[in-house]
Amino acid sequence: MDNILEIKDLVVRYETEDGIVRAVNSVSLELPRGASMGLVGETGAGKTTLAKSVLRLIQWPPGKIAGGNVIYEGEDLTAVSEDGMCKIRGKEISMIFQDPMTALNPVMTVGKQISEAIAAHENVSAEQADEKMRQMLSMVGIDPERAGEYPHQFSGGMKQRVVIAIALACNPRLLIADEPTTALDVTIQAQVLELIKNLRSRLGTSMLLITHDLGVVAQNCEYVAIMYAGEIIEKGPLQDVFKNGKHPYTKGLFASIPKLNEDVDRLKPIEGLMPDPANLPEGCKFHPRCGIAKDICRCQIPEQTEISPGHMVCCHCFGSHKDAWKGE
Amino acid sequence: MEADALKNNTAENSHTGEIKARSLWADAVRRFKKNKMAVISLIFLLVLAGIGVTTLVIDWATDSSIYDEKVIEQNLMQRFETPSGEHILGLDEFGRDILLRILWGTRYSLFMSIAAVLAAGIFGVMIGAVAGYYGGRVDNVIMRLMDIILSLPYMLLAIAIVAALGPGLVNVLISIAIGYIPEFARITRASVMTIREREFIEAAKAVGASDMTIIFRQILPNAMAPLIVEATMAVAGAILSIAGLSFLGLGIQPPLPEWGAMLTNARGYIRDAWHITVFPGLAILITILALNIIGDGLRDALDPKLKN
Repeated sequence: MDNILEIKDLVVRYETEDGIVRAVNSVSLELPRGASMGLVGETGAGKTTLAKSVLRLIQWPPGKIAGGNVIYEGEDLTAVSEDGMCKIRGKEISMIFQDPMTALNPVMTVGKQISEAIAAHENVSAEQADEKMRQMLSMVGIDPERAGEYPHQFSGGMKQRVVIAIALACNPRLLIADEPTTALDVTIQAQVLELIKNLRSRLGTSMLLITHDLGVVAQNCEYVAIMYAGEIIEKGPLQDVFKNGKHPYTKGLFASIPKLNEDVDRLKPIEGLMPDPANLPEGCKFHPRCGIAKDICRCQIPEQTEISPGHMVCCHCFGSHKDAWKGE
Repeated sequence: MEADALKNNTAENSHTGEIKARSLWADAVRRFKKNKMAVISLIFLLVLAGIGVTTLVIDWATDSSIYDEKVIEQNLMQRFETPSGEHILGLDEFGRDILLRILWGTRYSLFMSIAAVLAAGIFGVMIGAVAGYYGGRVDNVIMRLMDIILSLPYMLLAIAIVAALGPGLVNVLISIAIGYIPEFARITRASVMTIREREFIEAAKAVGASDMTIIFRQILPNAMAPLIVEATMAVAGAILSIAGLSFLGLGIQPPLPEWGAMLTNARGYIRDAWHITVFPGLAILITILALNIIGDGLRDALDPKLKN
């Protein structure tokens, strides 16, 4: 299979004074070229850490990639020099940040911020960069006349468009969108997602979309990976995971969504809270909240099991110990 | 349909296109203008600077003949002459016109302190930015060096440097500048450390900006406000230091008309001829007052919390 990005057994830790926070624990992920994958999980599941470690933006201290590889186009990004990373960031892989209010420099005009990104990677004159910047602005639906204005003169949705324009300015082949719509209101969310979708289909960019909104994933992604406590517990093609989710956590997630066609008084939450990543439980990380946990779950980390092509689940219930659940 | 939605949005944006770009600085200027005292001080300072430049131009045009004849040349017959129509501020102990000496002295007092503060600012900001941005060991080494300089009394340090290098324009400038480097470095470091953590810096990294681009194009413009205030105050301090050094005989040497040096020479005659001490003293006082008022005004204008 032709994958633009392969993450293999990636481990990221934050070494703080209060102990080691195990934010990402041996995560493996494959993103096929041109496709888009949704990375879903609760707050604190390690989604953002995973995304940042692809671009090696984890700050040391305290954060550190403790193991594993990030293979982009056959090149291991964990071994590239810092200078080499500078050439990849923005040019090959770009990132859209969660909060457009803080992702723009308040003392620089928006036009300047876009043309800086262009000038950083492309050998162009100031006029050419300016021209490209204006194209980018109109591409994201902002009047190029406003290039000379400052971020505080823009609304939240427009700032996010500017952020998108910066991210796509050098036609990157992979776009990492870290909750691009979380800080925006619902109507603007739809516009921004539509915009990303359009631009992606025009430029042929692959995308890793981080979100905790399953609806957003359903509309925008072909693949989905569910993350819990720093591990991917289920991943696969969108239809398989959404229609035929196997992991108890995935089932719990879908059960907690209100349904349009049923009259429900109370939503059905997953009982309990996510474990503290500095103090993760033994065995399966989900067992304290799992309704069907058995003894094996408390001591042994489950392995990935492929239940249909490309659809992987990390649960003893489907692995070599599945006999324990027989008859239930 | 999607394209339509986009187009609508563009149309929606375009009618707001007439809003003029209002940068942080334009806002600050607007707030500064409301402060009458600060504006008056600024005008005074600009006039003084204008006079300083004019005297330099006059010297250049007349080949320093006025400077030599009126400012330096002694006329002992007329010494201690009190202010009159001909000599508005009177004549000093060697019969030289005090007004002309004060005006010709701006180049030493005002311009030299500005130059010293500029030099200190450039080095201090670079040192502080590197320390603040990289942190860790780099920061520790640099800031401990700065602490060593800061631990010495400022005047004593300047005196020691001048004593080692010998008096003279350039040496005085160097000694003043070295004393101010740590202050700029500290202020820059503190701002850089807070700005470094903001998300737009991470965003800049994510589009592949190099460390230098991030420091100089992203962080420093955001750290400018406290530095500008510090620079204004530092110029006031530097004028005093130059005057102080000259007063001690280590700064600008006679017969050059530096304000502090004029005070020293006049000190001995303070009972007989009040005007030769009062006027240079007033010149120093008013200039420093103006600089301090401007500094206060700038601080208020640049503080976003006071936005109205």
